Amino acid sequence: MTTTRRPSALWRPGAGRGGAVASGLVPPPALTALALALLLLPALAALALAQPGNPTPAVSGSAPKSPASGRCGVCHPAERVQFEKSQHAEEDVRCTSCHGGDDRSLEVAIAHGAGFKGRPARKDIPALCASCHSSESRMRAYNLPVDQFALYQTSGHGRRLARGDTRVAVCSDCHGAHDILPPKDPASRTFIPNIPKTCGACHGDSALMGPRGRPDVLRQYLGSVHARELYDRSNLRAPTCVSCHGVHGAAPPTIGDVDKVCGQCHTAERRYFMAGAHHPATNGKRGPECASCHEAHTVEAAQPDRLASSCGQCHAKDPKTLALGRRIWTDYRSAADEVEKAAALTAQAEAVPLQTDDYRARIEEARTYLREALPAAHAVEEDVVAAFTTRARSVGHEVQSEIYGKLGHLRQRKFVLILFWFYLLLTLFVLKRYRDQGARKA
Amino acid sequence: MSAPRPQDPNARAGWVDWLERRINLSEIFSFLTHFGFVITPVDTSRPVREVMRELAETPVPKYASGPRVLGLLTAILFALEAVTGVLLAYYYKPTPEAAFESTRTIVRDLPAGWFLHQMHAWGAWLLAAVVVIRLLRLFWDGLYRAPRELLWWTAVAMVWLVLQLDFTGRLLTWDAHSYWATVRGMEVVFALPIAGPILAFLLGGRVVNDDVLIRFYALHVMVLPTLYAACVYFTFATLRRVGLSPTPEGRPEATTTFRSHLYTMLMLTVGLFGVLVTLATVVPFRFLSAADPYVTPGGVRPPWYMLAPYAVFQWLPVPHWISGLVLLALAFGVLLLPLFLRGDGSPASRRRIRLAGVVVLAVWIAMSAAGALLERR
Amino acid sequence: MPAPEERAAPAAGEPASRRTFLTWLSRAFLGLWGLGAAGVIGAYLRAPEHHERVAARLVSAGLLDDFKIGEGRLVRHGVSPFYVVRLDAERVVALSAVCTHVRCILDFDRERRVIVCPCHDGRFDLAGNVLSGPPPRPLPTYTVSVRAGEVYVHL
Repeated sequence: MTTTRRPSALWRPGAGRGGAVASGLVPPPALTALALALLLLPALAALALAQPGNPTPAVSGSAPKSPASGRCGVCHPAERVQFEKSQHAEEDVRCTSCHGGDDRSLEVAIAHGAGFKGRPARKDIPALCASCHSSESRMRAYNLPVDQFALYQTSGHGRRLARGDTRVAVCSDCHGAHDILPPKDPASRTFIPNIPKTCGACHGDSALMGPRGRPDVLRQYLGSVHARELYDRSNLRAPTCVSCHGVHGAAPPTIGDVDKVCGQCHTAERRYFMAGAHHPATNGKRGPECASCHEAHTVEAAQPDRLASSCGQCHAKDPKTLALGRRIWTDYRSAADEVEKAAALTAQAEAVPLQTDDYRARIEEARTYLREALPAAHAVEEDVVAAFTTRARSVGHEVQSEIYGKLGHLRQRKFVLILFWFYLLLTLFVLKRYRDQGARKA
Repeated sequence: MSAPRPQDPNARAGWVDWLERRINLSEIFSFLTHFGFVITPVDTSRPVREVMRELAETPVPKYASGPRVLGLLTAILFALEAVTGVLLAYYYKPTPEAAFESTRTIVRDLPAGWFLHQMHAWGAWLLAAVVVIRLLRLFWDGLYRAPRELLWWTAVAMVWLVLQLDFTGRLLTWDAHSYWATVRGMEVVFALPIAGPILAFLLGGRVVNDDVLIRFYALHVMVLPTLYAACVYFTFATLRRVGLSPTPEGRPEATTTFRSHLYTMLMLTVGLFGVLVTLATVVPFRFLSAADPYVTPGGVRPPWYMLAPYAVFQWLPVPHWISGLVLLALAFGVLLLPLFLRGDGSPASRRRIRLAGVVVLAVWIAMSAAGALLERR
Repeated sequence: MPAPEERAAPAAGEPASRRTFLTWLSRAFLGLWGLGAAGVIGAYLRAPEHHERVAARLVSAGLLDDFKIGEGRLVRHGVSPFYVVRLDAERVVALSAVCTHVRCILDFDRERRVIVCPCHDGRFDLAGNVLSGPPPRPLPTYTVSVRAGEVYVHL
């Protein structure tokens, strides 16, 4: 047997007097007054108790919303705004984690009281960040590396800092102080397309770099093909400053190591370079490196005519080497010309129209060979380059001769036309004979 | 059913006689006489071979020569266009994506596809030329006067239909030049008052898109050729009714047998075919790139027959509705010529009318040249 | 149409047979027109089965049995060449052979089952994903269907 719940005596549906109260929708007036009084009591108590100097956090609307920044943000709103957008705010890192002090109080004496570090000195910042970021136990959950500090100390920036030069990059210069975002966030300073600007904040500032004898590498980089690949073609795999210089252990590549750096992507060029006469092992520190001909930062797209001009930079007095360079250049150039002639002829055939899909495919293959010939030129040997240029040239020749053949067939049409006219005139003659015979018969 | 006839000893006993003993072939053959293609009525009680022989010997005025041949030429060219057109239609696909590709497949990959395509293109050009020349000759010789009004109207209609066929057919290749020429042509059409919006409504709107293409295709393949065939029938029927155009003064009407006439027509066809083949081989139409509605090549004009209205709308400092009305009035005037150009047949009035016609034509040609040469404002 | 020969019965043998021969010859001559037209139109109308249309979107890549397991074959199809790779007894994949970096034609590394670009050493796996190197986008892949033992690729 189910027990039905009895409605309480206070709310009795449909009993006694009519109206909202009697129907049970609205509680009786007395009860309402009691409830309101009970609710208001804490508020009154809060008002009574809200005296300055009381450290207990009050439930009111004037406190900052972010638990991470505590109450520091009341006096430091700019920093609070930055911090609230950062990754640290989500991970419950507080202002006090780096700056010390007490973030529950609005009184300066207490807030900036015991343990307050204030703005850390530049030379202390790396160690400060490392206090968490070098701890594997802390970083493991995020799968973040913990070697940044160690690498930093080997870097150009780190070594100078150790020597007392504070006008070098420290963690906050690249990652920001309060607005630290992960590298995958497009607003982050360490987001790949933003990296040149981040490094360029110092290395593109001629006032800063001039006295140190450094050029404006940011401007140089922005004019390079790497920057065009990064910005114009949105290719996030394009190299930025950190690709060649390292991230935390940033330092310029040493002499002899440049080809290893460029060879990270340009594996083919490096392979040929190591197999050729410019090999670092044979030439030691006096040999050419990638940057000798291609510049370090203003790297341009592959320019085949460099084959003609670069050799003279070092071998100006050596006619045999210069001749070799020129031969490689003419070899490449003639093959490229053949392929381009074939391409032009294909376009002409297209307008006839002839079936040109196969020719265009073969021209693309030939162009691939030509593109492969350019890395091969780093071996500075004719035969190596000729392996590709002859293939490209032969494809160009084949395509040209085939198209000429087809165009020749078309010219044959005009001769067939003459034969056709003989046939036509003969037909007219025969018809005329038939007509006249029929007329004579009539 | 006729009585059994004695066997003609010279006739070949064969399948024709076998059939003739069972059906009246002459009766069936006589249907041709109902369309005006055959001049004399046919005695269907005679065997078909005799009927054919009599027909072959029938004297007919020589109209496969001289200026009268123009009519025949238009008929032959139209038949050629129809045949090549049908063959092209076997592979052509009338959607913007496939139109150019299918045309290129025809021209590039199919055997004799290029030949059919060039024949169709040059045939269209020749047909337009011949049909216009015919109209001019009809005007010159005053052949619009009663009782030949229908002849003139059908001639004007045929000129209009051929130009429409040219306009609609031009778009079908969907290449860059033809697409933009059609766009320009549509601009001219829309600028006409009254007729412009109506035509725009019928042709499918202001933007040349896939709907317009399909409408053009339907018009080009089904509607316009049917109307043209109707005009051809009217022409033949009218000629049967009123007789052929009179010969120049002093020359007797030359006659020839129907058989010779048919042979002459065959020779004309062969000759015309030869001319077209020569044009197709020696001066083929170039094949351009596919149309891109977002890229306008420079210097594209409307088709040649729309150059005069184009020049008028572009450069005459007169509001379009006025110049449009004048052009429409002119067009209707040409159509309704017989109604007001009566004349009294005297040489003086004839000369006056001819002069007026020459002047109008010269103005039209001048305006077309202006439309072709002057830069777009 | 009455032919000339019916005009007069041939009197003697030789001139008559020559006339008949000429008549036959002229008729054959005229008949050539008909034959020629029929031949040309016939070839034109018959074309689709006998002509390989390179612009077609459905390309045959050969018989399935001609592909060894693990083999990758480059099919030159106009400007969109593609690789057809037989993964195992049933699965065949097709992907573009044009590198998404600078459009070099790719090579197939059979041992490592990757597609390599000879220009900047970009590498793709057989699903088209970029494994390493500068290519910015994955390779387009195409649907493959095997009908009656023949491999068809839908471009």
